[in-house]
Amino acid sequence: MAASEVNAPAIVDSVEALKARMDQMRRAQEVFATYSQEQVDRIFKAAATAANKARVPLAKMAVEETGMGIVEDKVIKNHYAAEYIFHTYEHTKTCGVLEEDPVYGVKKIAEPLGLIAAVIPTTNPTSTAIFKTLLSLKTRNAIIISPHPRAKKCTIAASKVVLDAAVAAGAPEGIIGWIDVPSLDMTNTVMRDADCILATGGPGMVHAAYSSGKPALGVGAGNVPAIIDSSADILLAVNSIIHSKTFDNGMICASEQSVTVLEDIYDDVKAEFARRGCYFLKADEIQKVRDTILINGALNAKIVGQSAYRIAQLSGVEVPETTKILIGEVESVDISEAFAHEKLSPVLAMYKAKTFEEALDKADRLVRDGGFGHSSSLFINPNEKEKMAAHAERMKTCRIIVNTPSSHGGIGDLYNFKLLPSLTLGCGSWGGNSISHNVGAMDLLNIKTMVERRENMLWFRTPEKVYFKKGCMPVALDELGTIMHKKRAFIVTDSFLYKNGNTKPIEQKLDEMGIVHAVFSDVQPDPTLKNAQAGAAVMTAFEPDVIIALGGGSAMDAAKIMWVLYENPDANFADMAMDFMDIRKRIYNYPKMGKKAYFVAIPTSSGTGSEVTPFAVITDSDAGIKYPLADYELLPNMAIVDTDNMMTQPKGLTSASGIDVMTHAIEAYVSIMASDYTDGIALKATKLVFDYLPRAYENGANDVEARDHMANASCLAGMAFANAFLGVNHSLAHKLGAYHHIAHGVANALVLTYVMRYNASEVPTKMGTFPQYEYPHALARYAEIARYNGLGGKDDRESFENLIAAIKKLKKAIGIKDSIKEYGVDEKYFFDTLDEMTEKAFDDQCTGANPRYPLISELKKLYTMAYYGEPDENVTF
Amino acid sequence: MEFNEQDIVVKRSYKTVYHVGDEIIKVFEPTHPKVGIFNEALITAYVESYGVSVAPVRYVRCFDGRWAIALEYVEGITMAEKLAGEPENLEENLERFVDIQIEVNSFRAPGLRNTVDKRLEEIRGLEGLDASTRYELEQRLHGMQRHTKLCHGDFDPSNVILTPDGGYKVVDWSHATQGNAGADAAMSYLRFMLSDKKTADLYLKIYCKKSDTAIQYVQKWMPIVAAGQLTKKRPEERAMLESWVSVAEYQ
Repeated sequence: MAASEVNAPAIVDSVEALKARMDQMRRAQEVFATYSQEQVDRIFKAAATAANKARVPLAKMAVEETGMGIVEDKVIKNHYAAEYIFHTYEHTKTCGVLEEDPVYGVKKIAEPLGLIAAVIPTTNPTSTAIFKTLLSLKTRNAIIISPHPRAKKCTIAASKVVLDAAVAAGAPEGIIGWIDVPSLDMTNTVMRDADCILATGGPGMVHAAYSSGKPALGVGAGNVPAIIDSSADILLAVNSIIHSKTFDNGMICASEQSVTVLEDIYDDVKAEFARRGCYFLKADEIQKVRDTILINGALNAKIVGQSAYRIAQLSGVEVPETTKILIGEVESVDISEAFAHEKLSPVLAMYKAKTFEEALDKADRLVRDGGFGHSSSLFINPNEKEKMAAHAERMKTCRIIVNTPSSHGGIGDLYNFKLLPSLTLGCGSWGGNSISHNVGAMDLLNIKTMVERRENMLWFRTPEKVYFKKGCMPVALDELGTIMHKKRAFIVTDSFLYKNGNTKPIEQKLDEMGIVHAVFSDVQPDPTLKNAQAGAAVMTAFEPDVIIALGGGSAMDAAKIMWVLYENPDANFADMAMDFMDIRKRIYNYPKMGKKAYFVAIPTSSGTGSEVTPFAVITDSDAGIKYPLADYELLPNMAIVDTDNMMTQPKGLTSASGIDVMTHAIEAYVSIMASDYTDGIALKATKLVFDYLPRAYENGANDVEARDHMANASCLAGMAFANAFLGVNHSLAHKLGAYHHIAHGVANALVLTYVMRYNASEVPTKMGTFPQYEYPHALARYAEIARYNGLGGKDDRESFENLIAAIKKLKKAIGIKDSIKEYGVDEKYFFDTLDEMTEKAFDDQCTGANPRYPLISELKKLYTMAYYGEPDENVTF
Repeated sequence: MEFNEQDIVVKRSYKTVYHVGDEIIKVFEPTHPKVGIFNEALITAYVESYGVSVAPVRYVRCFDGRWAIALEYVEGITMAEKLAGEPENLEENLERFVDIQIEVNSFRAPGLRNTVDKRLEEIRGLEGLDASTRYELEQRLHGMQRHTKLCHGDFDPSNVILTPDGGYKVVDWSHATQGNAGADAAMSYLRFMLSDKKTADLYLKIYCKKSDTAIQYVQKWMPIVAAGQLTKKRPEERAMLESWVSVAEYQ
C-alpha cells in the first residue's frame, strides 16, 4: 500500500516530525477516500469492537495518568463512545451518494474532509479519543490527535487501539496519528495544517482553534444551572442530580454546577440531598471551600475530577469519607461568588428562589457568565407546559435538558432519543461556535449536491366559463338566475356606455330573473384608486352576490379592484402591486376571492382581453403610481364575449385595441413562458387580426363577421398572455403611455417592429432566464408566426422580414402613424424624461418574460429610434 | 570613575546602584548579559521618546569590565515610601498610584516587544514547571488578544518617584512591553500580594473601577504573571506563585 511506503517518523516529538507524519497521513487518507461503504463499515465495526473491548484498561490508564475521575465511570464513557457511536452510525451512509431524487434531479454525494485535527481534553481523554477516531473512520477521514500532556499516554493508547483494529480490518496504515510529546506549538501546527479542527476543551483551546484559520468545530465551557420547580418529582430530581454530578467526579461539561430550588420545596429537597449522602457546608466551611476551588477567579487545577472528600480535605473541612457532593447554600449568582462558577468536581451551589421567574433569572445569569450556549437543566412536572416554554425561551443554551441527569442527558441517546450521541457539544454563536448541535459524523463530511436541470411546471388558467357568439349575452346571464340562484347583481360600467343604453339588456335580463341590481356607471378612463374606492363603497353597501363588469379595459379593471376591496377591505395595494420573478414564488399572497361575489366580465371593445386575464391596472393619483396588479385571484369567473356589445366601437378604438391584440399574441408567442397550450391560440389570434382588423377598421358596424372575429381574437390573445405573459414591447408601451398620454394600443404599435428586431437577434447581450428557454430562438418563433399567416420565406430570416413588412402594412391600413413624434410628443420633454422612463420600463413587470433580457441602454435606444420613426432595420444591437 | 560605598542607593546580587552628582548609575556585575543592559537603555530611550515622564538615559558604558547605565537623577520620594509613611492615606495614595499607571498605559509603544511574546518566552524558559502546567499556561496566553498599550511590566510603588513639584517619574523600564494593561495590573497586584493581601485587594478594586476593567480580565493574566515571577526563584514566594499557576480552564 502506498501510504505505508512513506518514510514516516517513529515518534512525533517535534514540529518537523509532526509535519512528516501529517504528510504521510494525507497520503493514507487519499487512499482511504476511495474505499467503498462496505469497506468503511467493516473497518468501523472492527474499530468500535476493539475500543469497546479495551474500555476497562483504558479507563484505568486514564485515571492513573491524570489523577482525575473514577475508573468505573470512565468505563461507562468508553463503552458509550464505542457502542453508542457504532449503533448510531452503523447503517448511516457516509460514502458516495447519500440521497437521490430522480424526479427533482437532486443527488447528495458525501466526501471526506481530509485530515482532521483533534484536540483531546484531560477530563475525558480516552472516551473522546475513541469518539473522534471512530467518527473519522466512518467518514473516510484521517485524524491526528493532539493529546494534553497530562493525559497523553492514555489518549495515545486509546487512539492506537482504534488504529490497530482499523488497519487489521483493511484501513490504510497511519490513518490515525498522534503527537507523542505534546506541546502547544505542535497543537497549533496541527490545527493550522489540518483541513478541519475538532476541538474539545475550554475557551482558550476553542479560541486557538478558531484563530488557526481552518474551519473548526469548537465547543465551549459549560456552567449548567438546574432548576427544581415546585411541581417536580423531588426524589427523581435530587437523585438525578446526584447521579450526574458524581459521574466521573463531575468532569462532564454538561454536569450541573448549581441547583436553584423553589422556596416551598426547598427543605424537602435539602433533606433528600442530605439523606442520599450529600454534605451541606456550614458558613465557615463554605468560605474555606470557596478559597480552595477558585484561585484569582480561575478554577484550581487540584480539585478537578477529585472526590468530595478529597476537596473537603484540601479545604480543611471535615466530612465523611463517603460524602457524594459538597453543597454550598449561597445567594449570589454573580461571578464574585466562587460557587457560581463551573467546578468540574462534585461541588454544587444551591440557591433558593421565591418564584419560578426568579429561578429563571438566576439560571440565566449563571449561563451568561459561565456557560453561554452550553446546557441547562429543569426538573418539573411535564404537564407544566407554560413554565417549560418560559424556561426554554429564556435559556440561551443549545441543550435544554428536562427531568434528566444533565451529564448523561447532554451527551445524548442515553436518557433520551434523537439527541445525537456525542462527546463534543456545540454551543452556537453564544459560545463562539459555528455549530449549536452535538457533533456527529455528518459534520465530518463535505456533501456535494448535484442538481440537474429541470423545467418548471407550467399551467393554463382561464375563467371557468368563457361564452362567445354574437347575441349570447342574455343566454349566458340566464345561468346567474336559473343555475346559480344569484339574488343581487352589481353592474360596473362607464358613463358613456350607461348613457348609451348598453346596460339595458343586462338590467332587463336581471329583472326577468328577479335579481335585484344596481349600477355604478362612473368608471373613468385609466381609473384611479379613488374611483375604484368610490365604487367599492357603493358595492359594499349594496352587498351583491354577483358583479357584472361591462366595458373596455378600464371598466373591467376597475370592477376587479372594487371586487378586491369588497371582498377584502384591508387589502394593501402597495403589497399587491409588488413585482415578482415567478408568480408562484411571489412574496405577497393575494387574498382568496369569490367568497362574497361571482365575477362576470363583458367586454365592449376587442383589445385588452381583460375578461380572461388575471391583470388589472389601477392608478393611485395621490402617489402618482400606476399599479399593475397580477394574480390569478383576479381572474373573472365568467367571460361573455358578445359582439352585439362591440358593434359601435369608434374607428380609433378599433385601431388601437386591434393592434394591442396583435401585440398580445406576438409577445405571448415569443415569451420565455410560451407553451403548446398558449401557442395555438396566440397564432390563431394573429391570423384573425391580420385577416379582419383592416375590415373592422374600415367597415365598422357594417361588418359583423369582422367584428365577431376580432372579438374572438382579443379574447384568445388574452388567454394566451394570461398564461405566457408579455415582454418588453408592453414594458415600453406602458411607460410611453404613462409619460406621454399615448393610447395603449398605439404605444404598442409604435415600438412593435423595433422590439421584434431587437428580440430576433441571434446574439443577444443577455437571454431571458427560465429553464424552458434553452437558447435564444425568438427569430425562429417570429418566423413561425409568419409561416402560419402564409407569409412564406425561404428561411427564418426571410419569413421574419415578411412578418415585419406585414405588420407595417397592417399599421398603415389602420391609420397608425410612424413615430412617437408624430403623435405630438415634445422632443425636449421626451429626451428630458427619457432616462427615467427607460429605467421604469426596464423595471416593468412585463420585462421578465421577454426572450431577450434587456440592458437599460438598449431600451433607451429603442425608444429613441421609435421617437423619430427611424427604419427598424437600424436595430442591429 | 571611582564608585564610593556611601553613594550606594541599592545593592542587588547582579547590580549596584550609585547616586553620583546629578546621575544615577546602575553598575552591573560582569555575569549580567550585555544584551540585557543595552536593551534596558534602549527601552528607556523608547519610552522617553513617547513622552512618558521618565528619568532619561545619559549613557551606557563600561567601567573596568562592568557595564553601567547612567540616568538623570530624580529628586523626590518613591510611592513605596509614601505608602509606608502614610498608612492613614492608603486609599488616596493608591488612587494616585493607579492614576499614574493608567496614564502610562495610555501611551502607545510601537517600538517595544509584545507582552504576549515576552511572556511566552518566559514560560518556555521556566524550569521546574511540568509540561502539563506549561501547556495550560501557553494555551491561556494564546487566547489573549494582542493589545498595543505601553506596559511597564513591573509597575510597583518603588518604581514611581513623586517629585517635589507634585509630578512623577517612572523608573526601571527593563520589563516594558506593548500589550494589555490587564497584564500590567495583574503584575502590580501580584507585587502587592507578596507583602499584603488587603492592600492588594484595595489596589485591584481601585484599578478596575478607574480603568473600567472587569476584574476577570485582570485575573486572566494572574497565572501568567505568576509564572513570570517564578523565574526569579525566590523561595519565600514559591508556594503562593505555584498555587496561582496551578489552575484549570473551564470546560
